[in-house]
Amino acid sequence: MSLAPVLAADALVEEAASRAFSGLAEKWFAGRITREDLLAAVEQLGFADASPTSDGEGWLAAAAIIRAQARAAAPIDMALLLVTGERAAAIAYDPCAYACAAGARAPASPAALAALSLGRCLQIGAAMGAALELSIRYVQDRRQFGRALAQFQAIQHSLALAAEEVAAFSAITDLALACAAREGIASKRLPALLDAAALVAGQAVNVVYDMTHQVHGAIGFTQEYALHRHSLDLLRWRDHLHLARGGDIGCAERLGDAALEAGSAWRAVTASMTPGDSP
Amino acid sequence: MRFHFPIFAFPPEAEALRAEVRAFVADELAAGRWKKGGDFASSYDPAFSRRLGARGWLGMTWPKRYGGHERSMLERLVVTEELLAASAPVAAHWIGDRQSGPLLLRYGSEAQRAEFLPRLARGEVFFSIGMSEPDSGSDLASVRTRATKVDGGWTISGRKVWTTFAHRNHYAIVLARTGDAGAQRHAGLSQYIVDLKSPQVKARPILNMAGQEEFNEVVFDDAFVPDDRLVGEPGNGWTQVTSELAFERSGPERYLSSIRLVEAALACAKSKPTPRVREALGRMSAKLMALRTMSLAVAAQLQNGEAPNLEASLIKDLGNAFEREQIAVFRALGSELPGRSDDYLSSLAQATLYSPSWTLRGGTREILRGIVARGLGLR
Repeated sequence: MSLAPVLAADALVEEAASRAFSGLAEKWFAGRITREDLLAAVEQLGFADASPTSDGEGWLAAAAIIRAQARAAAPIDMALLLVTGERAAAIAYDPCAYACAAGARAPASPAALAALSLGRCLQIGAAMGAALELSIRYVQDRRQFGRALAQFQAIQHSLALAAEEVAAFSAITDLALACAAREGIASKRLPALLDAAALVAGQAVNVVYDMTHQVHGAIGFTQEYALHRHSLDLLRWRDHLHLARGGDIGCAERLGDAALEAGSAWRAVTASMTPGDSP
Repeated sequence: MRFHFPIFAFPPEAEALRAEVRAFVADELAAGRWKKGGDFASSYDPAFSRRLGARGWLGMTWPKRYGGHERSMLERLVVTEELLAASAPVAAHWIGDRQSGPLLLRYGSEAQRAEFLPRLARGEVFFSIGMSEPDSGSDLASVRTRATKVDGGWTISGRKVWTTFAHRNHYAIVLARTGDAGAQRHAGLSQYIVDLKSPQVKARPILNMAGQEEFNEVVFDDAFVPDDRLVGEPGNGWTQVTSELAFERSGPERYLSSIRLVEAALACAKSKPTPRVREALGRMSAKLMALRTMSLAVAAQLQNGEAPNLEASLIKDLGNAFEREQIAVFRALGSELPGRSDDYLSSLAQATLYSPSWTLRGGTREILRGIVARGLGLR
């Protein structure tokens, strides 16, 4: 018996989106971007046509686009656009500003909250991955004491820890994405998975923010170097995710209550991870 | 991403099996056949292992012609998850079912498979791992136990340590040096099935910090091993040993070692949970979901014939840190658990005393992080 993964990669969409977004990000940081450039990118990617909130299938394409945007640190907030549909709101995004509560309204409906949370998780995972990749390249190039930083075991272990957190968070995000794609964004099972993802994001962002800056030294703490874009993105999105879901303690208490209700933490965990019926 | 954990869902037949295992565990506990005790490496009950064998829950994925049941890796995962979550006494069959059996299936001769696999699947013979030595811990390639070719077989001389349950198990798969190490240090190693009851093999239990006799020092004094007990090719031992690692490092035994403590605390708190207890249970559940998702991905990749060794190492490091964290969290919450039960107190003591071994056995934290770093292209 051979098993097939639940999520198939949407490679073509991802590739097209990556190209579009890296061009935008370059223009933005060179100070040569216009409102028209941003709107054109949204049109060109056909993001609105994916309508993932009403159609589970569309989630895979939407996820590929959201991830590509976050990886490139392009100045369009695809997760917010997904929920609000307001293109004006989407392009008001300032990739160099960090404000903890900025735009942190909780969406009105449970489905919109789920869509926004999932979008934020996809963005956070992609931004963490980008920060990690940048760090790996940096420690391979940068030399001190006559050798590359990558050759120091302390550096290797710091980035290994960051990579482990990125992997754990990506896994729980993919689990929520698979649930949304299969059962729809209104799935009863999805809120618990998103609470779990929000909690895993809390720790993962702390570790990745700490380790990636530590291995970069002072250059990472400047606006002259790309790391800060990813750091600001993941801090902002992490905070917004937590605020939208009522705080990370709120997420934890809901999951704790599910364990207490089931009379067993293990049973609650297995139940929440067992797929329901496809719509 | 450097690491890939594709999402797999348990097939419906696997979930039906989960209900079956839970009912079996409930019956066993109701009948008082065992008490929730240690973990996969400490709670030894041959009769329990035989009952699992009778139900077809050992050697689950192996071919039927070798006494196996040809079920999927995910169904096996369901059984191991549920047994570990119930802190059932699985130590007797654990190594044979997880590691030695699959090793023989992959590298063993037809005669070895026919001789050992059906008995392993019935829970009648139990295996140990003979890897570590007094001077070879993490640096496994430096083993000095030597196998010398003699007429009709080999003689093995040397010492192994931390050989779990060697004083009670029947066989050990011993890694020994048979030739030159070569520049990479990985050449010239071979694996043998050694009869632990042979007069030239002496197992001496080493009392652990918790006061239990589980692991051993095993001395091989020119122990004769016939030719047909050599596993695979002579000199191929390193490749064979490392192929066991994905099985060894990604399973639920790497993140469920403190689940009994969590469940005991939950039972105490159930009638009147404080906000801090609710929060702790929720944080624990979230991480457990992430770890389980990754572990499931590796099980499915193994099922498909892949060897996700890097991913398995990553899961073990994260899982061990998670297990440890729960001890600190649920110890501190003790004052918020009305009527702290004996189960809570004994599981707290047990987890605390055993926890140093979790981040050592099956690959130390430092070795695992080195493997992850290699996967990142840093070494």
